[in-house]
Amino acid sequence: MTDTTADLREITAEDYPAVRGLVAGLEGDALVRAGRALARLDPGKVLAAHPGTPAPLIAVTGHGTLSALVPALTGELARHGLLARVRLSDFDSWVFDLADPGSDLYAAAPSLVLCVLDPALVADELPLPWRVEDVERVLDEKTALVERAAEVFAATARGATLVLNTLPLPRSLTAQLVDLGSRARLGAVWREANARLLRLVETRPEVVTVDLDPLLAEGVAAHDVRQSVYAKAHLSDGLLAGYAREIGHLARQSAGGAKKVLALDLDDTVWGGVLGEAGPEGIEVAGSYRGEAFRRFQAVAKQLGSQGVLLAAVSKNDREPVVKTLREHPELTLREDDFVQVRANWRPKHENLAELAADLNLGTDSFVFVDDSSFECGLVRRELPGVAVLQVGREPALHVERLLRDGWFDVRALTAEDRARPARYREERARQDFLHTFESLDGYLRELDISVTLAPVDAARLDRVSQLTLRTNQFNLTTRRLQPAEVRALHDDPAVRVLAIESADRFGDNGLVGVVLLRRQAGVLHIENFLLSCRVFSRGIEQAVLGAVLGHAFDSGATEVRAAYARTARNGKVADFYPRAGFETVREDADSADFRLASRPAAAAVDHIRLTARFERTPSEDRR
Amino acid sequence: MKTVDDFVTLLRDELALPVTADDLGRGLDTVESWDSVHLLALCTVLERETGRSLPLADVLEASSLKDVYLLAVAP
Repeated sequence: MTDTTADLREITAEDYPAVRGLVAGLEGDALVRAGRALARLDPGKVLAAHPGTPAPLIAVTGHGTLSALVPALTGELARHGLLARVRLSDFDSWVFDLADPGSDLYAAAPSLVLCVLDPALVADELPLPWRVEDVERVLDEKTALVERAAEVFAATARGATLVLNTLPLPRSLTAQLVDLGSRARLGAVWREANARLLRLVETRPEVVTVDLDPLLAEGVAAHDVRQSVYAKAHLSDGLLAGYAREIGHLARQSAGGAKKVLALDLDDTVWGGVLGEAGPEGIEVAGSYRGEAFRRFQAVAKQLGSQGVLLAAVSKNDREPVVKTLREHPELTLREDDFVQVRANWRPKHENLAELAADLNLGTDSFVFVDDSSFECGLVRRELPGVAVLQVGREPALHVERLLRDGWFDVRALTAEDRARPARYREERARQDFLHTFESLDGYLRELDISVTLAPVDAARLDRVSQLTLRTNQFNLTTRRLQPAEVRALHDDPAVRVLAIESADRFGDNGLVGVVLLRRQAGVLHIENFLLSCRVFSRGIEQAVLGAVLGHAFDSGATEVRAAYARTARNGKVADFYPRAGFETVREDADSADFRLASRPAAAAVDHIRLTARFERTPSEDRR
Repeated sequence: MKTVDDFVTLLRDELALPVTADDLGRGLDTVESWDSVHLLALCTVLERETGRSLPLADVLEASSLKDVYLLAVAP
């Protein structure tokens, strides 16, 4: 037993904020043990003591006994600073839970529903004797049932996410067929059913299907046969723990805790050896046994970078040789241009990370930091508890596994903006350098030549809108997180306008950087939310867009405009956004405020921005 | 895990059950915080700790924690 477990057993609801730090480094059995200790806590009491704790309600339903998921989920969510409220359905009640819109599960209004499927779902219904055709028929019935359940779910649990999983194929089934032809066909029909479950994600934005094959390929047993036979627990504790880890990342991301930056140490992390001692020709980056291991790690970092993860180098080295190596070394896979910043100096790494966060206009809690030094890892963990710290070991072949063991950068859908993000941040660095050449901010903004378009979002980019609501924390007036299906529902609502803010300037196109949600009710225009990416605020874009929205409101006959603010730990800087634009405060408390504007404010034009605004939808925007 | 005390420690540490040696002879239904799902987790933990395979069907029919202990330490 570890000290951590002892600490966790003593923990009370009042101490919950300390839990994240206590469980941060736990894995496997230790984390499940921690989860069991934490599952004792009454979530109501934790929330009473710490009302700001994100506490998703997770409904667990499925075919077999799933009790092992409760401590696993509790532990995994605690790692991300979340409080799991788990509602476990009765044994084998998934069809009733999901296909009946009046079920208790839907009444509980969970944000995440885990429908855990297992191979016994099929095996239990086979006749005796059975043939491949029977398996095919049962698989077909069950997948159709799942699809039907997903349909009811979409119509009933608006905004919630349904998590399905693929079915492991047990040898105890295949080996019952003695002819190899039938055995191969069983493998084929089984995979086809799994493919159908995976493809459901393409048509149902509210569905996530966890593929269990990669977890099984790591060597986790699919089941413990005795637990399966005696207790109907058809998936092993180890597999459920791996599954729970994926759910933890999904919940973190849904709660707005996306990781955006991968900060890498260099010596013995990105390359082998110490640059300051071995020199550029002495470091291991390719060719040799160890060199190939480092090359593989660099390639994976680059691959993540191609999908919107911002790479940064944070190294204790002199700057000049580091930059020269990243620029000129013939065999390096990761180059200077792959990084949004290279910070090579002798100052503590947590200070460098904090400055990097400030430069990127991000919180350090959106950082993942990789280093081989336990000293550096420990210091960053202590000084910046929100950073996910991954310590790699002495064996470089395992660096990739360490980096990918957790889905830190998982997102529901990748958008064009994601792919362009690293380039945009590099443009931002050019902008910052440009800024330093000006005496005043006004002069800078005028020279920046900003153009902004405000228009109804087209159907193809609803995922990006959802993502902005999930990722934006600072300039987000109500921080209402919207899953893709919710954005689609708003887009389809004739009373609502989902307006996209796009901007560009002399350094490049910023893409879709903000969203305004408007709802018209009788003569009142409600600004349901207003959010803007941290990359572009404080340039006047927010004032220009709000001015256009208000002009439109009164031009189109609204008698008043209403707006609201909901405080979070991160959006304090926009608390007075509406009052500064002339709104009167009609209600205010510590957590929220409501505002009202009854007449057109004196126009304060933002003259350094060229704004094009359109509020009516065109038919092409409705197509998908 | 060899002694009754080891077993009690394991129940407290691994399963977060607030039990003492006096609780071992009680009917499982009367053990504080006990839930039937604990039995499955207990089997897994015992097999890991003892490095031996337990007769799971017998454990599932146990009426008290003492029964489980005896199965776990049976020669």
